[in-house]
Parts: sequence; C-alpha cells; structure tokens
Amino acid sequence: MDVQVFIDLQDRLDLESTLREDVKDAIKELNKTCRLASAKLAKAHSVPKSQTREIIDAVAPSFQAIRKCISTLVGLVEPVAFYKYHDMWSNAVQNACALVVFAVYLDHARLATPEDIQEFLGCRVNTENNDIAEFVITLEEYLHALISLFSELSRLAVNSVIVNDIQRPQEISTFASDLYSGFQLLNLKNDSLRRRFDSIKYDIKKIEEVQYDLRVRGLIV
Amino acid sequence: MADLPPATLPDDSGDHQPKKQKFSHINKASNRQQQPADSDQQLENMSSSKREVYTLFTRYRDTLDAHYDQRERVIKCSRDITALSKKIVFSLLRITQESSPESVFKDAESKHKQVLDLFRKISVELQGSDAQKYNRQATPGLQEYIEAIGLWAFLQDNVLISKEQVLERLSVAGPDGVVAPLVSVSDEDYILGISDLPGEVNRYCINSIGKGDHEAVRRCLMFLRQMKEGISLLMCSGTVRDLDKKVSVLDSSLEKTERAYYSMSVRESEMKLCGANSTVVPMAIDA
Repeated sequence: MDVQVFIDLQDRLDLESTLREDVKDAIKELNKTCRLASAKLAKAHSVPKSQTREIIDAVAPSFQAIRKCISTLVGLVEPVAFYKYHDMWSNAVQNACALVVFAVYLDHARLATPEDIQEFLGCRVNTENNDIAEFVITLEEYLHALISLFSELSRLAVNSVIVNDIQRPQEISTFASDLYSGFQLLNLKNDSLRRRFDSIKYDIKKIEEVQYDLRVRGLIV
Repeated sequence: MADLPPATLPDDSGDHQPKKQKFSHINKASNRQQQPADSDQQLENMSSSKREVYTLFTRYRDTLDAHYDQRERVIKCSRDITALSKKIVFSLLRITQESSPESVFKDAESKHKQVLDLFRKISVELQGSDAQKYNRQATPGLQEYIEAIGLWAFLQDNVLISKEQVLERLSVAGPDGVVAPLVSVSDEDYILGISDLPGEVNRYCINSIGKGDHEAVRRCLMFLRQMKEGISLLMCSGTVRDLDKKVSVLDSSLEKTERAYYSMSVRESEMKLCGANSTVVPMAIDA
C-alpha cells in the first residue's frame, strides 16, 4: 500500500479547508453588515407610516454593502461546489433576504418577489428544482425570509397603535393572513422550514389580538 | 376501494347538479358569463394580492415537491445500494470457508452487476449540481459500495483500492459508446468508504486464524497498520465529517488484530517447545 495516496488526499483537503476559512470570513462580514442594516431598519417600528420613507432611504447604503458582501462570497465559491458549501452561508443569506422582504413591505406594503431579492442582493432566487450553473439563493432561503416577516409584522401591528395609527393593524392583518394562506399550500417535510411555519400562527394571533383590542373599544369598525 | 368507481356511475350527474347551480349563482353575482373550473373559481373570489400569493405559492409547492421527491428517490436507492454492498461483503468474507477463492469472486461479480444497475438508477438523480445537492443522501450507499469493492481488492490483490479504481469499477459505456463513471465520487466519499474497511479486514483476519492461515493474518495486520498511518495523516487536515467516528473503529480493529496475532504467536511458540512444526513468520514491521 502506498502512503502517497493519503498524502495527495491530504493536500486536497488542505486546499479545501483554506477555502472554507475564506468563506467563513466572507460570511462573518456579511453577518456584520446585515446586523447593521437590521438595526437601521428596526427604527421603522417607532415612527408613523409617513416617516418610513426616510428610513428606507437611510438603509439603502447598507443594502449596497450587503450586496457587495454577497458578491465576495459568490466570487469564492465555484458554481460546481455550490451545494457542497451551501450550508455554511444559508443562514446568513436568509437574514439578508429577510431584510429585503421587510424593507419592501415597509416601502410598498406588498410581498417581496424573487425579482425584488435579485434587485437588492444581485443574486438570482432559484424557484425551480433544476440544475444550476451559478451561485443562487435557494427557494428554501427565500421562504425562510418570508416567514421571518411574520414576526416583524406582529411587532409592527403593536407599534403602529403606539404611534396612533389604528388603521394599519387592519392592513397588516389582511396581508399576513393572505401570506399565511400561501404557506398553507406547501407540502412541507419535517425540517426547519416546517418548524418555523408552525410558529407563524402565534404571530397571526398577536396581530389579531391588536385588532380585537381596537374593535372592542370601538376604535375601528 | 369500492368508493372510487362511482365517479363514472350514471346517477353521479345528479349529485353534481346542485353544485353547478351554486356556481352559476356566484357567477351571476360577480357578473361573469363563463363557468370556471373549481380552482379558477376559488381564484376569482380572491383579492388580487391573495390571488398573487396563491399563484406564486402553488409554483413554490411544485418546486418543493419535486425536490422532496427527488431526495426521497436518492435515499431509497442509496439504501438499496447499501444492502446489496453488504451482501457482497458477506460473500467475500466467506472466502475462508470456500475451497477456491475464484468461486467467491464469481459470486461477488454477479452481485456487482446488480449494484451497477442500482447506480444506473441513482445516476439519473445525480446529474450536474444535483450530485452535490443530494450528496448527503447518496453518500451512505456509495461508501458501503467502496467498502465492498475495497475489501475485494484487498482479498484479491492485497492492495488498498484507489479512487481511480473505484471510478473505473463504476464506469459503464453510455449510449454514445463513451465509458464514464455512473456517479461522481468525491474525496470525502472515498475517504469515508475506505475507512470502513478495517472492520471487515479484521473479520477476515479472525476467520483466517480459525483456518490457520497465518499468512493472511500477517497481511491483515500490515494492511491495518498502513491504513492507520494514512488515516492519521488525513485527520491532521480535519475537514472530513464523521471521520473521527470511523477512526475509533479502525483503532479497535487494529487492536483486535494485534491481540489475535499475539495469541497466535504465543501458541506457536508453545507448539515449537513441544517440538511441533511452526508456520508463523516473525513479523517484520517495515516489510
């Protein structure tokens, strides 16, 4: 038996672990940028709807930075090896998508489409189950991001009452239940998507409670 | 089962009648001439934003379903490959009981043909980027297969199978006549596959002691020591998932084999004292 076989293998593994380190660094940077953007975006909870525009404008440079971080990551990973390392950045990319989804909702009160994600992050969302030849955001990551929106919405419903906007919870409720009905169409397996899907109902409940409080006091009809 | 056929029974049309009326009533209310199908009707009644969500998520559902189904098929096929590879391993281990090794290899060869059929099946699911996407589901079968043909190579030629040899074994002529491997084998698949070998080599070793084949025992010990040396090298890089678990199996296999060789040597020495003929070759470590 020749030990050379193992030495060759070791060389290849070493190369791989160097790449892993680089990817890890890129992800660390991405996470940092996302946290900053998230802090800026969270201010939308404390202002009336009329002022959200300024917050969206203020957060725009952060999205530029996130986009740059992702392009660094894209440059590191060869498309062939995409799924090999995919688990490493999946969470970070989910967070970035969730920021886009929230920003689009604040700005336009609508659901961010895969096209929106691509526009903000410069990376295509793969909504098909097919062969890929480029770095993509997976459908699961996009759906995870949409689920993250529910907790933001339930917070927003409460906070809009605080800033004296008692119409908004109604709007939020309609939007959230429409989106939830979409998720109910999916045949989910027993994975993380399923577990997070199961938690949506608690956010829906919170939004409904706000509406109940307003209605029972005759503040809305 | 008996409830299914009524869809074609004549009295069924009567059942549908009230439903149709209900539809036309809704249509009238929404000023529509056309009578839409069930799901279209559902869509008509939705607000535009809800309709958009419905359309999008129906598409997402199809994508996810296709993905889950494909993953399921890979898991099933991988499991079949594992089962058949295990059978090859057991046939090969019967080598100590058979009079001629050729019959054992012939039996293994016929099973190997069946495994290749399974690989043909799984290769459909593992084209392009899917190879990596479903690697985690496919790798258990592939590892077991590498273990089986690795044991084979060890028994037949006393060598550690190389990754190239694995790929060669997996190669068949395609429709265009080009011989190519059915599936790709990553370094990780290969490493994890061969690191399952020690357990089987140890089994063969113990069987050989029973048969008094001392040369085989010596070969096993040599092989395991070199495996240990090689795998230890790989452990330094430390990026292969699940390798450490297999290394502990390797260690215990090596120890068992060493103890077996030891007690065999002791007994041989006793025999020699008694004047019997010795067949043990003193172990040369770096031979």
